[in-house]
Amino acid sequence: MEVSVMASSQANLRGTELCRDRDVLGFCCSNSNLNAQICYGKSKICLSKSIGWPKSSVRLAIKAVSQPEAVVSEKVSGETSTSSRKAKPADGVRLYVGLPLDSVSDCNAINHSRAIMAGLKALKLLGVDGVELPVFWGIAEKEAMGKYEWSGYLALADMVQKVGLKLHVSLCFHASKEAKIPLPKWVSDIGKSRPSIFFADRSGQQYKECLSLAVDDVPVLNGKTPIQVYKELCESFKTSFSPFMGSTITGISVGLGPDGELRYPSHHHQAKDNSIQGAGEFQSCDENMLNHLKQHAETLGNPLWGLSGPHDAPRNDQSPLSNFFNENGGSWESPYGDFFLSWYSDLLISHGDRLLSLAASTFSDTSVTLSAKVPLVHSWYRTRSHPSELTAGYYNTVNRDGYEEFVEMFSRNSTKMILPGMDLSDENQPNESLSSPELLLAQITAACRKHNVEVSGQNLMISGAPRGFEQIKKNLSGENAVADLFTYQRMGASFFSPDHFPSFTAFVRSLDQPEVHSDDLPTIQEEAAESLPGKNLRMQAA
Amino acid sequence: MSTVAVEPLIHHYRRKSPRLAPNFTTAKQSSLNCTRGLLSRGATFCSFKSPLRLAVRASSTEAAPVETSESADVVFDKTFSLKRTAKVEGRILIRLNSGKDEENWQLTVGCSLPGKWVLHWGVNYVNDIGSEWDQPPLEMRPPDSITIKDYAIETPLKKSSTALGSDIFYEVKIDFNLNSSITAINFVLKDADTGAWYQHRGRDFKVPLTDYLQDDGNVVGSKKGFGIWPGALGQLSNMLLNSEGAQYDGEDGTNDLREPTQQKRGLEGFYEEHYIIKESLIDSSVSVSVSRSPETAKNSLLIETDLPGDIVVHWGVCKDEGKRWEIPAEPYQAETIVFKNKAMRTLLQQKDGGHGACGCFTLDDEYVGFLFVLKLDEDTWLNYKGNDFYIPLSNSSGLHTRSRLVESEKNEQQDVLERVESGSLPMPEKTTEANQAGSAYTDNIISEIRNLVSGISSEKRRKTKSKVAQETILQEIEKLAAEAYSIFRTAIPTFSETAILEAEAEVPLVKICSGTGTGFEIVCQGFNWESHRSGKWYLELHKKAAELSSRGFTVVWLPPPTESISPEGYMPKDLYNLNSRYGSIDELKVLVTRFHEVGIKVLGDAVLNHRCAHYQNQNGIWNIYGGRLNWDDRAVVADDPHFQGRGNKSSGDNFHAAPNIDHSQDFVRKDIREWLCWLRNEIGYDGWRLDFVRGFWGGYVKEYVDASEPYFAVGEYWDSLSYTYGEMDHNQDAHRQRIVDWINATNGTAGAFDVTTKGILHSALERCEYWRLSDQKGKPPGVVGWWPSRAITFIENHDTGSTQGHWRFPGGKEMQGYAYILTHPGTPSVFYEHAFSNYGSEITELISVRNRNKIHCRSTIQITKAERDVYAAMIDEKVAMKIGPGHYEPPSGPQKWSLATEGNDYKVWEAS
Repeated sequence: MEVSVMASSQANLRGTELCRDRDVLGFCCSNSNLNAQICYGKSKICLSKSIGWPKSSVRLAIKAVSQPEAVVSEKVSGETSTSSRKAKPADGVRLYVGLPLDSVSDCNAINHSRAIMAGLKALKLLGVDGVELPVFWGIAEKEAMGKYEWSGYLALADMVQKVGLKLHVSLCFHASKEAKIPLPKWVSDIGKSRPSIFFADRSGQQYKECLSLAVDDVPVLNGKTPIQVYKELCESFKTSFSPFMGSTITGISVGLGPDGELRYPSHHHQAKDNSIQGAGEFQSCDENMLNHLKQHAETLGNPLWGLSGPHDAPRNDQSPLSNFFNENGGSWESPYGDFFLSWYSDLLISHGDRLLSLAASTFSDTSVTLSAKVPLVHSWYRTRSHPSELTAGYYNTVNRDGYEEFVEMFSRNSTKMILPGMDLSDENQPNESLSSPELLLAQITAACRKHNVEVSGQNLMISGAPRGFEQIKKNLSGENAVADLFTYQRMGASFFSPDHFPSFTAFVRSLDQPEVHSDDLPTIQEEAAESLPGKNLRMQAA
Repeated sequence: MSTVAVEPLIHHYRRKSPRLAPNFTTAKQSSLNCTRGLLSRGATFCSFKSPLRLAVRASSTEAAPVETSESADVVFDKTFSLKRTAKVEGRILIRLNSGKDEENWQLTVGCSLPGKWVLHWGVNYVNDIGSEWDQPPLEMRPPDSITIKDYAIETPLKKSSTALGSDIFYEVKIDFNLNSSITAINFVLKDADTGAWYQHRGRDFKVPLTDYLQDDGNVVGSKKGFGIWPGALGQLSNMLLNSEGAQYDGEDGTNDLREPTQQKRGLEGFYEEHYIIKESLIDSSVSVSVSRSPETAKNSLLIETDLPGDIVVHWGVCKDEGKRWEIPAEPYQAETIVFKNKAMRTLLQQKDGGHGACGCFTLDDEYVGFLFVLKLDEDTWLNYKGNDFYIPLSNSSGLHTRSRLVESEKNEQQDVLERVESGSLPMPEKTTEANQAGSAYTDNIISEIRNLVSGISSEKRRKTKSKVAQETILQEIEKLAAEAYSIFRTAIPTFSETAILEAEAEVPLVKICSGTGTGFEIVCQGFNWESHRSGKWYLELHKKAAELSSRGFTVVWLPPPTESISPEGYMPKDLYNLNSRYGSIDELKVLVTRFHEVGIKVLGDAVLNHRCAHYQNQNGIWNIYGGRLNWDDRAVVADDPHFQGRGNKSSGDNFHAAPNIDHSQDFVRKDIREWLCWLRNEIGYDGWRLDFVRGFWGGYVKEYVDASEPYFAVGEYWDSLSYTYGEMDHNQDAHRQRIVDWINATNGTAGAFDVTTKGILHSALERCEYWRLSDQKGKPPGVVGWWPSRAITFIENHDTGSTQGHWRFPGGKEMQGYAYILTHPGTPSVFYEHAFSNYGSEITELISVRNRNKIHCRSTIQITKAERDVYAAMIDEKVAMKIGPGHYEPPSGPQKWSLATEGNDYKVWEAS
């Protein structure tokens, strides 16, 4: 049983040291010896892991510092406990909470700072590790190219630091309709005269909340390529926030597309109601994409395939399983389908690769963890063709694991993967959509495990999927824990509302406490009863 | 014969300094304390003005025009009117003697004070359990008796025919036969003019007729009688008295008095006198003038008063605005002594003719203020609205212009409250104190957070420090979250960074929510079971508003205002008819306004569980409503067969005396929401006391609270504690869990009365089992131990006590109960009868300790002792308390403890 205690991969790096600490502290020797061996064995694995993960080494060290305490407490808590929950990250998962998208207004002031301050204090007291701050391109570089304005974000970082929380910064190269944050004005202006910098679908409908990945290396922005512009912003960010780097700011994620996610905006014009989602539409019809497709087809000796995207892909209002995606005999299974889908997906991967290597090189001299977000396109997952994933750029079908290439790309760039949707459970999905967030999550995390890509979790429904907390907890605890960090989205009125906040509090405490109770007082029945979530809720709500 | 300490009026901010404390303790109170008269007190409070105004006025004199020139300039002149109460002492006379023969006896109760006296009485029978009263048999009732419900009789006292000379008596005689199965006669004396009750040690007088009565400390007639029945009531031979009776030392109520008579046949007559005190109002004034002599650069200050007797000015000077008392340099004028190096005492010289006194003080230039209080006798002090008189002195050369300020000529009523203390220290000025309190509190929290910040992260996934710390943290979190929520919800952006920084500093960390109010609330239940009798309760309470405020209460709970089948209001009929036995709707509005004027929030008693119908249905069942809410039988729950409701099953327990309302009906809830909002807007109620909330689901309460947005809401969830073989279980977790469950169902939008704590206090005090006051985890065993911010602690209410006495708090131990709830977290609620009994001053003292130390509903508590005969706890590390006869002294650690107040079997200390 001690074996399982020590199975935490984070603890292993310092396993031997850890054990020495224990001896000094005078804990049961026979057990520490046992542990020493186990740890030693494991630490080899970790070493090999850290070779592949140069940038994460500092972070790992930080964790290791905090680890002895955790282990010691487990030790103290009595050997009788066989709880499997503490074996894995439930005990070590770090919890972050997202700050409001509009934390910093477009005139660089902090929106409702008093509320944020109170919120930060509350989170700190609650034991939350840190907060996630979305930093928008449209605010930081609003006025003109190269003219950065960080004051609002700096003030916010300062607030976070004062409260003693960690900060994860999300660099958002997209606009947010929800928070009414546009792209930089000068970018939008360019877009007016040069619409091809945006994605377009077959009907010519544009998506203007981020730049098309096809222009990544095209000097469309006043003579610079978007990649250059992104990189300069990253550099400026690094310089401006250097006092916080590595101390308060422990993580940075790089926005890779719509809503920061590495995907095509295939679903952008769908109603956000509960009606069944279509498959989405391929976003391959802007000028640059088409050019690229043409070249690619010609290279492969099939120029006819490069004239346009699939002509028979269903429109969003059509049945997703018709025509191109037909479950049996749809052209997605044809050689053409394979050609197109591979190309479409490869473009997305190389886009991700470009941005992640850019970020990796920019932040290589800091100790922050880099991460990036992939979507959880779970609708129609239970079909053979996985149409929604295909249009989003993930060539994942019944015949093919489309995520492994993505995970490899993350692995190459030593970047952590952020996975949303940890709050979604299959049973709460409409049956008709044949969706399965749980299976998809399992598929991606399996790939991550295989390639040693660490995972951070997020919830998809802002403050409240039905039974979301239970699902999140399930994903974060137990043997199957998939993430060592979870970012809960998102602070705001509904987050602090009496309908929601108590359950969040209960969630946070349930991540920490039941183990504590049962460990501390294994013999007292009453304590065990006390740790029932319902009662916790009562007691803590005072 | 017993003597009674003059129990003077106490108004607010009474502070008893241990160093100055002379012999004034209530322990010397004699065997009896009769409830004081109530009438005169309200009038002592007329206007509340900030003491600051004095200073402001004085400084304004600089700009005043020069009028004349004299060698000395009068720079300050002001007359303060002093209102104080004078007490008339009287006696209650109780005599038991045999009448015509051995079988027939007579109890005579008399009173020596003029007035309309009524004896409110009842009896106990042989097989009675508990202390409920019963009505006496018809033959016992004197003529003119009226029955009160089914348990009491009221008989007016008549002028004694045998009175002689100036000794006027009122008396009533009750004849009874020893063969009846009556074991005791219980009574209280009522002054029908004022509504005041005169009780014995805060409880009923009890005259035992047999020997198997338990002594609750309120037994009379068991001590050695003496004295002579005044006048010629005669029958001196019957005054033979139970000389073997236990010596009654008057110190406490624990004397063993169980053997007044060996058996019924051996009943012995006795005669006793008990002192009572009625109060009346007397107006006096004191005028102070300061004149400045330019030659000597000294101020001379003249104090004149028309108070009779030897008046001592207890005074000091101060060098800055801090109003810290200092003693001036020598030499001192005649009749002046230094009092304990803290203050000066000067006896004022009697004026010629004996009308008042005056004194003159010469003060050096360096002092900016003169502070004083007037001492009438050892126990009676006068101050200025709860603070010291503060007279600003001129010390700057710029004040050579003469100005004159005659406040009294402007007809500004300067009311001065009488205040009685055993010692006086300079009082901090009230408003500053409050401000400081606010900012200090904020600072505390911020630093607390800072501390926690360093602690928590490492602590988080290890064992948590302690439950106590955790709960404190959770309470903070709750507050912060509520604040964040309120701002996010309104979403007002700030536009500049400087604004941000300022805004941060201003963050009010005390968040008002309906479950807790500010967290610093102290509730007074503003009525008892008899309050409806006069028909003008609202008017009577109106007079007490200012006093309640000055004594530190922040919330008053008014009786149910609606038309009701029962006069007490708990059987409502037409919810929109607010003319009740307590007064009219207009009187109610005036009362609410008055309370608002003095800064007290008002709770309406909302009876939502049941409603009496106007009409019968076709089966003759009363379940059809009239009035504005003309519901039919769909509004009545279906599971009470008496009322044949057609609604759904009740979501709670049923109250069987009236149709229970079915809150699951949308139309019912809509009407109730509207009604509550109407009460808020039309009457001005600030919140609710919700009657019998056991009867329906707490989720509905949440809906009502959300709709009516009260400042404070509390529900009465009263069910029975758990007993095993007649003995209360130590662990009442199930009981408090039910209350907590209810609060939880309301989502914390309402608090609940902490019935658990009351029950445990009963056992602990009654049986001397103080260990019960700590639960298995070392926390308070009531709701207050689990969810302090939502626990409204109390020891008595109109049902449990008053003239109903369904579950009366152990007699004579009420102050221990108050010492507990008024020092502990939770929101304490004081029962009207106690607030206006002679416990009043002790209660006020406890409230002022609570306020002074800023104890609030979420304060932390550490139980330091819970043993058989003593319980002690430390609250917020600022206040230590103990109850019980056992010994306890707070340990001297980082804090130094000084005694703040004490009484019978309780002590409270403050850290200094």
